[in-house]
Amino acid sequence: MTRPSPQTVRRLIGLALLIAWEAVPRLGLLPELFLPPLSKTLAVLWLDRFIYASALLVTLYEVAIAMLIACGVGILVGAIVGGVASIRNLMLPVFSSLYAVPIVILYPIFTAWFGIGSESKIAFAGVYGFFPVMLSTAAGIRTIDEQYLLAARSMGATLPQLIARVIIPAAIPTVLAGLRLGGALTIIGVVVSEMLTSASGIGYLVTMNRTILDSPRVFAAIIVVLVLSIAFDIAVRAIERYTLVWQSAGRRGASSSTAASARMATPAAASAV
Amino acid sequence: MEHMAKLNRRPEHAPQAAVEVRGLGHIYEGRDGAVPALTDIDLTVPAGHFTVIVGPSGCGKTSLLMMLAGLRTQTSGTILCDGRPIPKPDPERVGVVFQEASLYPWLTAVENVEFPLVLKGAPRSERRARAEEMLNLVGLEGFGGRYPHELSGGMKQRVSIARGLVQDPPVLLMDEPFAALDEQTRMTMGHELLRIWSQTSKTVVFITHSLTEAVYLADEVVVMSARPGRILDRVPVDLPRPRTYQMMATDKFGQLRERIWHQIRDTP
Repeated sequence: MTRPSPQTVRRLIGLALLIAWEAVPRLGLLPELFLPPLSKTLAVLWLDRFIYASALLVTLYEVAIAMLIACGVGILVGAIVGGVASIRNLMLPVFSSLYAVPIVILYPIFTAWFGIGSESKIAFAGVYGFFPVMLSTAAGIRTIDEQYLLAARSMGATLPQLIARVIIPAAIPTVLAGLRLGGALTIIGVVVSEMLTSASGIGYLVTMNRTILDSPRVFAAIIVVLVLSIAFDIAVRAIERYTLVWQSAGRRGASSSTAASARMATPAAASAV
Repeated sequence: MEHMAKLNRRPEHAPQAAVEVRGLGHIYEGRDGAVPALTDIDLTVPAGHFTVIVGPSGCGKTSLLMMLAGLRTQTSGTILCDGRPIPKPDPERVGVVFQEASLYPWLTAVENVEFPLVLKGAPRSERRARAEEMLNLVGLEGFGGRYPHELSGGMKQRVSIARGLVQDPPVLLMDEPFAALDEQTRMTMGHELLRIWSQTSKTVVFITHSLTEAVYLADEVVVMSARPGRILDRVPVDLPRPRTYQMMATDKFGQLRERIWHQIRDTP
């Protein structure tokens, strides 16, 4: 008898959960207020598809802008903090400590400054996603092997060439790990802030429907957020595969586990700097 | 064999001494003030010669090599590489091969070799052809498309040598290039290096900890003292070329090795 592959097992577990989602409320094991059946949830999602679609558009817009800010500013500041020793010594302890602060407590201030529209969500999620991107970038640049730089200088590299051809490619794996984490946090930031104070977006639909005890619509919104997050993860993975082709060349199969452990190690390393 | 002819830079066209060091001293600023790292270094390496520098750890031999490469500036004294001072790195005059594989893991073997030419802005077809030629020279024909992690330790150092030679510099500096390799690979690589050297007529300055490797490779072994580094002895190695593994078992080889070992052992 052969052992089923992890992928098969994973799919079976997923299928079992979906079946349980349908069966448990139908059999009366849980009241429908706690867990509406999957079919009912999907039915209201389809019924209200235009409401959900327009809410999703608002959320997507906020996520996109917030990600641009988090990644752009995060990479820029991270590069400066990682690359310039004096600034690093001055700023890195501050940034590392700030990372541990639950930034969500600042959200009321953001609404006071930017109102309850998209601006406050973008600002909040941008700040939320900024820290892991910035810390990973700083770690990625700081931990570049000195030998790489020395060798490039011996081959006559100028400073711009050093940055473009050695520092950036050498830092990419760590920076990508930060973007993955930062991007996920941006999505969380947007949805959470929509849930707290808002009049639109997917997070708003969750809160609003929970208030009126409309469980199927709450779960429908949760499904939309799940799909959004998973889609983001798949997109980042695709980018990683494309960019880091050199890491896996010639050792496919064995590579996925090492790549995963490297990814997992990085945020810890980043927060430790 | 066109590339062989091109690489065969005959010593008579080059200046008499490929590397000339006069009264070189280096002091570096440590935490407890100035630390003399190198004093009174005089060194002449004739064109086409293979010189090996040995000495205890921390004697400043790597610092000396960095200065020969233009990667570090000495406190006093002069260095002439190929007849001229070398205030900054110049890969057309001096190629450097480092200890650890300093190959870029995101580039394939052939891309690593052509890297200096990319920095110079050479056209793609030209630099690719030149890089392939160098890979053939170091015995890596057909391995150009591999990434460094797909190559063995010895193959990586072959790529590093090819990269050091790609701009055809008259001088090749090597900082313990085989230190991370196992004994067998190390012997093979030493032998291969001599083959490449005899085909290209480069001037080589080679740093090692291994006395056997030093005697096996060198025309002359330069023995340095512990810090502050100075030159204790120059041991000419008059074993015939091409060198063979059998020579290591001869009395002469043993005597040369013994003489160097005495010098290093007797310094505190």
